[in-house]
Amino acid sequence: MKRLILFVVFLSFNLTANSILIKSGQIHDGQGNSFIGDILITDNKIVEVGKFLNSSSAKVIEARGKPVTPGLISPISNLGVVEINALDVTNDDEPDFFGPGFSVFNAFNPHSTLIPWNRSNGVTSSISTPGYSSHIFKGMGSFFLLDGNLDITGDPDVAMYSRIGATGGSRAETIQIMESLFELAKNKDGVEIEELLETTFASSLDMQLQDIEALSRVVNKEIPLVLEVNRASDILQALRLKKEFDLDLVLMSVEEAPLVLDQIQASGVSVIIDPMDNIPDSFDELASNIKLGGILSNAGIRVMFSTQRSHNYHLMRQGAGNAVAHGMNYSAGIAGMTSSVAEIFNIQNRGSIKEGNFADIVIWSDDPLEPSAYPTSVIINGDEMSLATRASRLTERYTDKRDLPSAYKH
Amino acid sequence: MKNHLFLAFSMLLIYSCSEDVEVSQSSTADAPAKSSSLEREPFESNYKPLESERTLIKSVNLYDGLGNEYSNLDVLFDDGIIKEIGKDIVDNNATIIDARGKWLTPGLIDIHSHMGVYPAPSVRTSSDGNEATSPNTAEVWAEHSVWSQDPQFSLALKGGVTAFHVLPGSANLFGGRGATFKNIPRNIIHDMKFPGAPHSLKMACGENPKRVYGNRGSAPSTRMGNMAGYRKAWISAVDYQKRQNEYIKKSDQAKELVDPPRRNLELDTLAGVLSGEILVQNHCYRADEMANMIELSKEFDYKITAFHHAVEAYKIADLLADEGICGALWADWWGFKHEAYDMVPANIAIVDQARSGKGCAIVHSDDEVGIQHLNQEAAKALSAGLRAGYEISKARAIKWITSNPAKAAGILDQTGTIEIGKDADLVIWSKNPFSVYALAEYVFIDGAEAFVRGEKQTQPVTDFDLGIINPSDERASL
Repeated sequence: MKRLILFVVFLSFNLTANSILIKSGQIHDGQGNSFIGDILITDNKIVEVGKFLNSSSAKVIEARGKPVTPGLISPISNLGVVEINALDVTNDDEPDFFGPGFSVFNAFNPHSTLIPWNRSNGVTSSISTPGYSSHIFKGMGSFFLLDGNLDITGDPDVAMYSRIGATGGSRAETIQIMESLFELAKNKDGVEIEELLETTFASSLDMQLQDIEALSRVVNKEIPLVLEVNRASDILQALRLKKEFDLDLVLMSVEEAPLVLDQIQASGVSVIIDPMDNIPDSFDELASNIKLGGILSNAGIRVMFSTQRSHNYHLMRQGAGNAVAHGMNYSAGIAGMTSSVAEIFNIQNRGSIKEGNFADIVIWSDDPLEPSAYPTSVIINGDEMSLATRASRLTERYTDKRDLPSAYKH
Repeated sequence: MKNHLFLAFSMLLIYSCSEDVEVSQSSTADAPAKSSSLEREPFESNYKPLESERTLIKSVNLYDGLGNEYSNLDVLFDDGIIKEIGKDIVDNNATIIDARGKWLTPGLIDIHSHMGVYPAPSVRTSSDGNEATSPNTAEVWAEHSVWSQDPQFSLALKGGVTAFHVLPGSANLFGGRGATFKNIPRNIIHDMKFPGAPHSLKMACGENPKRVYGNRGSAPSTRMGNMAGYRKAWISAVDYQKRQNEYIKKSDQAKELVDPPRRNLELDTLAGVLSGEILVQNHCYRADEMANMIELSKEFDYKITAFHHAVEAYKIADLLADEGICGALWADWWGFKHEAYDMVPANIAIVDQARSGKGCAIVHSDDEVGIQHLNQEAAKALSAGLRAGYEISKARAIKWITSNPAKAAGILDQTGTIEIGKDADLVIWSKNPFSVYALAEYVFIDGAEAFVRGEKQTQPVTDFDLGIINPSDERASL
């Protein structure tokens, strides 16, 4: 928060606030409304949304009818914790020791090249999550603002991650272990955690203090459990666990969800899907279908988006665009990248364009669900971000026609 | 170093991505010398088109795949061939499709697919794309791994893909032969093979071969080891080809058969490259390695048709244009490995625009999802090119997914553009195909309705799809 402190000093000298006025944008506020309007930002907050706003001191950005959305929030990413997937020394998303207690938070690198890249493509914050783990629970993900500041703005350990599905062993055992761990973490007898750790079950799973504490947060509904699950019968198992242990459950992937749509709808869970993944890539995903996004969303289920590949989390726009092309409501597509993520993961005062929220805002060249569209302005916490990326620097270098070795073109 | 033995074959080596496509195409397609095999090519195509009707598409907006855009045009095809393109065509015998406000493009072509060799579901029992048992497996043919019931074919078809080139994986320096298919699912894979399409040879640079074999403590374990591996193999291939040519010469003079040299499947493939019958599709990411591969191709006098993936192609775009080598590229994949770190989204546009538009850029998928949205990938690449300051029309960008991949697959004489006399491989899009909201409504292959959106009888259903979730239903019929 060093930045904010410096800012206060600056204010005391100038007595003028750092203000931006976005004029005449096609505002998609993330909550289902779309209108032509202005947005006044002062310091790091949205102070007014309306028509014909004026400010003598604000920097004016003319949106000229172009789409304006909340900054996109990736609900699942490896931003800041993975630089190059196939180069393990650049990866910090995989635990060796902890299970559910693993936290990626302290590994976050604001200088990762993925951050300017995703930010310049409209992603202003993300939840960075654990990668592969041999444990049934992979650990916890953390929320980060993608402003690139070493003084990190974020929220540690906002959700727990796990999966039910094909293992090569038995998914029945996965579910049994999950149930036993939930029972343990519920700690109905109210014993000391140390005592829980000494149980044969906990010690045979190498459970640590941090693991039990993390699971306690799940069973006490302090954080959601994001459960990757695809097969229809597994989805029902997940819903049963939710009910039995009273979990705040988010389902991920759910490629066979249309087969158990009513049950999902009745359970009130939200989902994270990759709408473009219609490949029956395993025997758990035989019912995969390009219409998944629309089917879920039109049934009143809140849908968020993941992307097919790492590094390009902004491509959730393309996913949302394809979902809309195949039957999803447009505003649900926008919400799935913004307000839904904020609400479901308890990210306070972000994800929608409304007075009082932090000013994370993107102005687009065109419909943000078109893959060909791109941001013309990205604002995070009221600061206009540079759109430069390593890719833009390389592009400039290699389109520079001077007859020089490229190493001298800079 | 040029070898005199190759002079006789140099006429066959002019296949290129330069503008004089048709000349070079026919040279390749008509290549008479089966000098590498000395026999009729086995496993030839047995493709037969679906039954088709004389069809007239009325009032459609059109990208022809040659770089032109037209509005409100009519296109007539019959017997699987495009017969007439123009305004106000009247034909009383044709089935008429009113396509007002819609868009027509050539059928899309993917030059880099692993459908069939890495089918869905992705399980080890049918994962047959990499014969990763030796760094040189030029003897294997991808088509012998293709599972004809792969449900991914039909998904690609719904994305407008009418032909695709299946390659072996990239574990090996020489991965084996690739083959091109028409996207009409059939039970026998040779019934899908694109008639007259040449084979390719998959070669791979960089991290994959050195990782796969280096991890086993065998060669190659370095990039210099990769280069040595290629050179050793080409030396053997040159020698093999020389012995075959001497045999042909001797038997011609003797007017009778003499004992032929013993065939070697691996060297058959490499010699096929040297004689220009087999096109090199080279997986290669880094600019410096691509430059080495070009030098290698000159040392042994063969032609590289395309560099695949080539995340750094933009760094040597002029060189690629000068050498007539296509870049088969992604719009935006990066960072999954070190050699894919220097991605720029304008890569495709920079390759396309090199030497004042002499470049050959291709949007490829290498992916079962990406192949369904090649038009969207082209849209992203075009947008990045415009932002980088190039003036590129949509009509030109459509070449990245139609005529350019057709050229690189050696099938441009038959498909890849909307021209009279070509195969009626066509897609009618609901909207401009550069929009995410555009859906392929009709996909014609050789004039036949291979897919019509919303019509059940024109949705291919593989054996795999049938009754697998619910015995009385089909997999994707939700």
